[in-house]
Amino acid sequence: MVRGWLASLAAGAPPRVFLLEGADPPAPACLLGQNGAVEVVDAPRSATLLVVAGVLPDALLDAARLIHDQVGRPRCTVQWTHPRAPAPPVAAFPVTCTVTGSVDDLVASLIRLQADLVRGALTSEAPILPDVEPAPWRGVGPYGQGGTGMTGGVPYGRPLAETAADRDGLKLDQLAITVGPFFPPFPTGLALELRLQGDLVQHATVHPNPFQVRSLPSSDESGDEAERERDDPFGTALDRPVAIARLEMARARHHLLHLARTLRLHGLDALGRRAMSLRAGLRPGAVAPLCDLRQLLERTRGLAIGTTGAGHLAEATVRNRGLGPIARASGLAEDERVEDPAYTALGFVPVTHDGGDACARWRQRLAEAIQSVQLAARAGEARSGGAGRVEAPRGPLTRESSATASALVLLPSLLEGMEWGDAVATVVSLDLDLRDLPPASTASAGQPTAAVVAA
Amino acid sequence: MRLGLEIAVTGLILVASVYVVAVLDLVLGRLVAAAPLRLAEAVVRPVRRGALLFLQRPPRTERPDQALWILAPALLGAIAAAVLFVMPLGPTELSQSSGMRDVDAGIVYFGALMALVMVAVYLHGWAPNSLFPMVGGYRFVALALSYEMPLALVLIGAALPARSLSIGAIVDAQAGLWNLVRQPLGLPLYLVAALGLTFRGPLNVSDAADLAGGTPAESSGVALLLWALGRNAILVAAAAMGAAGFLGGWRGPALPGPVWMVAKSLALVAVLLGVSHLVGRVRLERFVIVAWAVLIPLALLDVFAAGAVALLAGRP
Amino acid sequence: MTGALADGLFWVMAAGAVITGWRVFRTDSMVRAAYWLMASFVAVAVILILLAAEFLGLVLVLMMAGEMTIMAVFMVMFMMNPAGLNPMTMVHQHRTAIAAGVIAFVGLAGVGAFARFPSAPPPAATHVTADVGHELLGGSMFIFETAGVTLLATMIGSLAVASRRGRFGPADEGSVEPGPPAAAPAAVPESEHAGHAGMERPDGMVP
Repeated sequence: MVRGWLASLAAGAPPRVFLLEGADPPAPACLLGQNGAVEVVDAPRSATLLVVAGVLPDALLDAARLIHDQVGRPRCTVQWTHPRAPAPPVAAFPVTCTVTGSVDDLVASLIRLQADLVRGALTSEAPILPDVEPAPWRGVGPYGQGGTGMTGGVPYGRPLAETAADRDGLKLDQLAITVGPFFPPFPTGLALELRLQGDLVQHATVHPNPFQVRSLPSSDESGDEAERERDDPFGTALDRPVAIARLEMARARHHLLHLARTLRLHGLDALGRRAMSLRAGLRPGAVAPLCDLRQLLERTRGLAIGTTGAGHLAEATVRNRGLGPIARASGLAEDERVEDPAYTALGFVPVTHDGGDACARWRQRLAEAIQSVQLAARAGEARSGGAGRVEAPRGPLTRESSATASALVLLPSLLEGMEWGDAVATVVSLDLDLRDLPPASTASAGQPTAAVVAA
Repeated sequence: MRLGLEIAVTGLILVASVYVVAVLDLVLGRLVAAAPLRLAEAVVRPVRRGALLFLQRPPRTERPDQALWILAPALLGAIAAAVLFVMPLGPTELSQSSGMRDVDAGIVYFGALMALVMVAVYLHGWAPNSLFPMVGGYRFVALALSYEMPLALVLIGAALPARSLSIGAIVDAQAGLWNLVRQPLGLPLYLVAALGLTFRGPLNVSDAADLAGGTPAESSGVALLLWALGRNAILVAAAAMGAAGFLGGWRGPALPGPVWMVAKSLALVAVLLGVSHLVGRVRLERFVIVAWAVLIPLALLDVFAAGAVALLAGRP
Repeated sequence: MTGALADGLFWVMAAGAVITGWRVFRTDSMVRAAYWLMASFVAVAVILILLAAEFLGLVLVLMMAGEMTIMAVFMVMFMMNPAGLNPMTMVHQHRTAIAAGVIAFVGLAGVGAFARFPSAPPPAATHVTADVGHELLGGSMFIFETAGVTLLATMIGSLAVASRRGRFGPADEGSVEPGPPAAAPAAVPESEHAGHAGMERPDGMVP
């Protein structure tokens, strides 16, 4: 009786969702948390629903299975795919339900599914992997303390930590771990192999990019030019002119979404939702709500307090690397749009910020979002593009290179010596997206990160 | 008999206030997000969320310390209950006749319980045998060692005009002038420490998003629910102590004492929650430096000033 | 608190203190050992409170909660056992430990057997905390308080000196303390650190 009453109460609770974002989701997956009807949680344990947005590449399947088994019980998996995506998306995954549609459709399905789960109308998914120790116990001694001394032995396949010099010249234990590929604050697919001392990053290596192949049939083949321009305006602008208003609104939306992710990382979920709802209601020329948000952030110093001084990139480090807003946040006026007569006719002058830290980078992006909204209002019918180079939100995009590829190269040396909190803030502030591959060839797609691993 | 009644009343206050904190947090979050809010939704949502967690089955990690994993949230709740138990809701004479109420060394009592918060959070991070919770636990120790000194010092400052460590006496000593006015440094420093104590907002380093949730990253179901309740409870306890120590406790015109005490505590809860929604997480290393280089000297200044005033002006 | 309730609580806490104290040595992890010890101290603190020594009992909890946490962290740090979760024995140096244990037990039992304990609770009007303060420190209260603040200042000072950006410059950039004048130039390359070293040194020490 009590259980039934609890279940009917719980059926109306906002769904607790853990997100696995793959390639080509119908929309940025973090938009799920936009209106508060769904709670996107940081760890799989307390979620009830696992949402697989887009298509998971094979390289990420093992990690995804592990996370599936960690999701709280009762649980079920929802696949959210693009209507154009090839079916069946994930074969080795127990998908209870597949949704192809907008974010609102997905939210409605999630609410229904969670209600069914807690009422018992839907059975919880069984684990995929066998529940066994990762490695046998191999300690020695009456308490398994290992070997003859206090150290030694390999309990559960994990050797005891070895010491290494730390930044203060002491010898301290080192912890070797891998974070990712589905660590929520990180861009999806990014996995870092780390050696930590306490929560200080001693050494970082980037795993190879799992997104080697584009899964969606390119729109060139499907032939719907209008749809392609809507979904990927910057990719389209490589080949032919696109309305500046469209490009700039897409840029503003991109930056606001990134701001929302940054805010969420720093514990400002409510402000993050505000940034997302501003993104949804964005209109050319309507800068007042954006300026209000900026004023609020500057007055309370709410975001500056955790980002100032984190992940500093000097001018010399970022010069001529094709890093777009990252370079502009270090005070360099590098922008492809300066070369474009269509933009100069609109009176475009790049915004820059001094500082070069994570704080300067979100300020830079918010300022660019405001500038873009203004440009979009002024642009009228003006068009830009077709030159094979375009200033995408993350930085200059060509058929062979993207800003993510350039920024990834900087990552390992940048993270070294940082506290973990700063390291995460820095990774987020670089606005990486491993799916942001140069559209030209899939062969060269994996190259940038592979090069990083070798270095 | 009387003791049993008081325990029951404390329990009732605790449950009610934990729920009110959850609703208040939701309302403030919606305000900051500039999102529409239906009051009915805000009122039932915490209950629904709690019911959902209650129905989740407990998680298993590889060789956790199962007992400590459950005891840590319970300890957090117990600490909050123990603090609320001694909060004076009216004149001292009323509560004098019973044993525990109005502890002779109330400030020390509060300090001792707050030191146990560090134990609760550290063990909550340590028990699941998992990386991110453990880092969260260690981070909290670093944080706690930094905020505890200012916390203790400003509370001593609040006790100086009363010439007593009893919370009831501290409230009585604020009959003419609140400590808020008498010791302008006191409440701001206390609130900073309280943010650390309740690990919220800018000082939420242990349960942070950059640790995939931190100490509760491996928790789900009832254990997670208990932890969330404990967090809210400790917030109420910290706010109540702030109200008693700096805002004159139950003293106020027209309305009865308990109403004033509840109103002042809620006001402080709202301030702390508001700050949590507006100010992001600090960098721990920076905060530790600020705590030792700025907050402790300011707190010492506060104590010295309060002592001088108590010596010169408050001579009985 | 009524007599029967207080008596019951006393026996529960007394048994608890002994059992948790015994668990300290039977557990297999340093973190658990530290917190069993804390539990034992908390039980003793409750007994102190029952004996009307409220202040002493509360201060015991206050100190032990922080102390045991720091002890656990330090033991884990020094024992090269990440998280303290790999099981290990808590008992070493048996002979010394047995001898120390016997001596301590005899000493404390002697106090218990020969000391005169008060037979009645203190009168309601006494201010136990204030009396304990006068009893312990008497006229040296002011000196003691001064020493306390001085110690705190020393602690903060030593932390400041030991930190990376210490008194003698960043700790990892070959900074030297103002030792004998001859040693300094050899340790610090003049080109990089000359201005810095000169600035940081007290005037009397510059050669």
